Amino acid sequence: MSRVRSIAAALLTAFCLLLTTIPRVAAQRSPAIAAAANLNFALREIADQFARTERQRVELVFGASGTLTRQIQDGAPFEMFLAADEEFPNQLSKAGLTRDAGAVYAVGRVALFAPRGSPLQVDDRLDGLARLMRDGGVTRFAIANPEIAPYGRAAEAVLRKHGLWDGIRPRLVLGDTIAQAAQFATTGNAVGGLVAYSLVLGELEERGTYAVIPTADHPPLRQRMVLLKKAGAVVERFYRYVQEQDARAILQKHGFAVPQ
Amino acid sequence: MADRRLSVSLRQPAPIPLEVDFTCDAGDVLAIFGPSGSGKTTILRTIAGLYKPEHARVRAGDETWSDTGGRVFAPPHRRAVGFVFQEYALFPHLSAAGNVITALGHRPRSERRARARDLLSLVHLPDQQDRRPQELSGGERQRVALARALAREPAVLLLDEPFAAVDRGVRRRLQDEIDELRRTLDIPLVLVTHDFEDVIRLATHLLLLDRGRAVACGALPELMSRPDLPWLREAVGLGSVFDAVVARKHPERGLVELTFDGGVLLAPERAVATGTTVRVRIPAREVILAASEPAGLSLHNALPGTVSAVHADPGVDNVIVQMAVGRVRLLAEVTRDAIERLRIGVGTPLHALIKSVSIDLITRSA
Amino acid sequence: MDWDALRVSLWLGAGTIALLLPWGIWFGRLLAVREFRGKLLVEALVTVPLVLPPTVLGFYLLVSFGVRSPLGQAFQAVAGQPLPFSFEGLLLASAIANIPFVVQPIQRGFEAIPLDVRDAAACCGLTPWQRFVRIEAPLAWPGILTAAILTFAHTLGEFGVVLMVGGNLPGETRTLSVAIYDRMQAFDDRSAGVMAAALLAIAVATLMATTTLSRRVSRRRG
Repeated sequence: MSRVRSIAAALLTAFCLLLTTIPRVAAQRSPAIAAAANLNFALREIADQFARTERQRVELVFGASGTLTRQIQDGAPFEMFLAADEEFPNQLSKAGLTRDAGAVYAVGRVALFAPRGSPLQVDDRLDGLARLMRDGGVTRFAIANPEIAPYGRAAEAVLRKHGLWDGIRPRLVLGDTIAQAAQFATTGNAVGGLVAYSLVLGELEERGTYAVIPTADHPPLRQRMVLLKKAGAVVERFYRYVQEQDARAILQKHGFAVPQ
Repeated sequence: MADRRLSVSLRQPAPIPLEVDFTCDAGDVLAIFGPSGSGKTTILRTIAGLYKPEHARVRAGDETWSDTGGRVFAPPHRRAVGFVFQEYALFPHLSAAGNVITALGHRPRSERRARARDLLSLVHLPDQQDRRPQELSGGERQRVALARALAREPAVLLLDEPFAAVDRGVRRRLQDEIDELRRTLDIPLVLVTHDFEDVIRLATHLLLLDRGRAVACGALPELMSRPDLPWLREAVGLGSVFDAVVARKHPERGLVELTFDGGVLLAPERAVATGTTVRVRIPAREVILAASEPAGLSLHNALPGTVSAVHADPGVDNVIVQMAVGRVRLLAEVTRDAIERLRIGVGTPLHALIKSVSIDLITRSA
Repeated sequence: MDWDALRVSLWLGAGTIALLLPWGIWFGRLLAVREFRGKLLVEALVTVPLVLPPTVLGFYLLVSFGVRSPLGQAFQAVAGQPLPFSFEGLLLASAIANIPFVVQPIQRGFEAIPLDVRDAAACCGLTPWQRFVRIEAPLAWPGILTAAILTFAHTLGEFGVVLMVGGNLPGETRTLSVAIYDRMQAFDDRSAGVMAAALLAIAVATLMATTTLSRRVSRRRG
């Protein structure tokens, strides 16, 4: 009986300790901003800069543009959405969930990435990939899910352009965000992948080789952002900040082109 | 005493068939005897309020505990009933004292510890108060269960196969203790058993149960001297049971002399004091009938008497003869041939011949 | 280590227990002592969350309680915020997913009490409530504790439902398991590793506790 009693006592103590972690952040929670996964490094830097200069914090939640759109439709409490394309934000505007049509804040690029030790030779015409396919050396190739991630759609376009889509299709491993695709591409689970250039510059440079794909090979990755209905003053400021000089410089550093 | 009497009347066709009516007075021990599955435990549970048959009337003294007709039902915790379960059902997380205290809710808090101690001393367990049931032997657990049942100050005490799980030696001692207890308690005591030994040792009254129906019910000596209970004959073997007093001891012959309501019996010597009352059982098969008093035989007992009843069951070879010896009725089992040869019929004067070794003396253990 | 995420996870576990345990004790005991028509069906329904993929649960919750459903809109009208993507929504999802983890050990705990011990308690003059508090609950205690511990551990490990219904909102619905996923996507393997180790340690501790308790139950029965 004493053993049971001591377990019960331990649990009760833990419970009481937990109680001391009240209050929850609920009331003071910083506003939440939904962002496409390819902005993982760029937007964090922008938000940090924003916090330093404006003394305001925002919480960033990254995911696939399609998933985030769905969540917003289901009532997720985001105040702003930076997508990886224009279609998804337009969907939200049409549904009346946004303040207005928003603005294009960046244009993205796609890069072919091969982790260290991979047999894939990277080049911007995908010749190395084609060669590897012919030799039967492609075990797995990573892209984002074209249905929910704009970068996945772009990757599909690139592969089709070079006539490689049908051949490589059975070998594809789909990440449900572009970040997860990059994960797959780097951890050696795949010979490589088509990932966001911004992610490569953010983290992957030392982990392998890459080649940036010409923008002509896929529909432009114009990335649009929108303010959602419940946006507060802080987020409105952030929205403007993203279009200002400091933020644009950061975006460019991470491989994005910025609109004039 | 009518104000303490237990009266029970049950009827139910299914799922457990029941058809019994009986009463039990204060100070009496009613043994319900029958094979497994005959419904004995169900009857006890009904008296306690743990089972609700279709038709039931249970009254204890002037309280009506169940009356399906009048829609009366007192739940078990509102009946002053003491129940000793077959496997004792002690609370494993409480000590012996704790178990007993659980039943002392009707006493003020300050008295409970002391009262529990007294009860445990009463059942000869003064030092085991703080032990848990797992640390007690079978016999000790039985005593705790008894103490707990008595703690309730019950109007009726119910015992369900109380000696089934203990070994022989412990059983004898427990039987004696319960016998001693019931003399001081002065409440009806109902005992369920499938072991006839218990019946012979403890019961004042007997209810024979077969598939839920009462086959026979009455005072033990009378019931045991009925010749017409084939069921009992098959289950246990017929034999007369009656009380006798130790008149004299003959140590040099290794015999004791018993007087009973019909004469004198000589039985093998036992450690009994002169003057004590003992219960005597004589199996019917051990009784020989003689038309005249024999001589030159080894046996010690030849009791003169008259045939009071003859009972033959069709298909059974042997016949039961009931003989009146004084006020006691002896049973003898003989062949049909013997009946014809001796021309035995009601009123025939005969001698009942009984070997002293055939006499079963039910005494208290030393 | 994402302390916010740890806190959300712990709160989710504790909250699920607080929500389910009282009901679970009542219902588990009911299943242990009563026989009734349709009991088999009820027991099967209790087990359903065990075999259902979490995504199915998440799907139905979003459909039934999302802002596009009448129930969800009613909730929003009253509470001022939608049920999904809130801690409360997560709590609801977690409670439903944990029903079998609560009910079954408690049911076994009460079933382990011999019938005649219950009867003896009644014959001792204890009212039904007293019987429950003084005899049944102390004897079923290991089962109840097991239910609490299992529920807690299971909640900590939930992922699919949390992601679908909760949406990975930091400080609100980002549990430790989701935080690990999040950190991996940000290529922060170190943080992910620390949090994964923490969850593993909790899982092992849980298993040890429940094993000890189940030995306790069988020892007492013997």
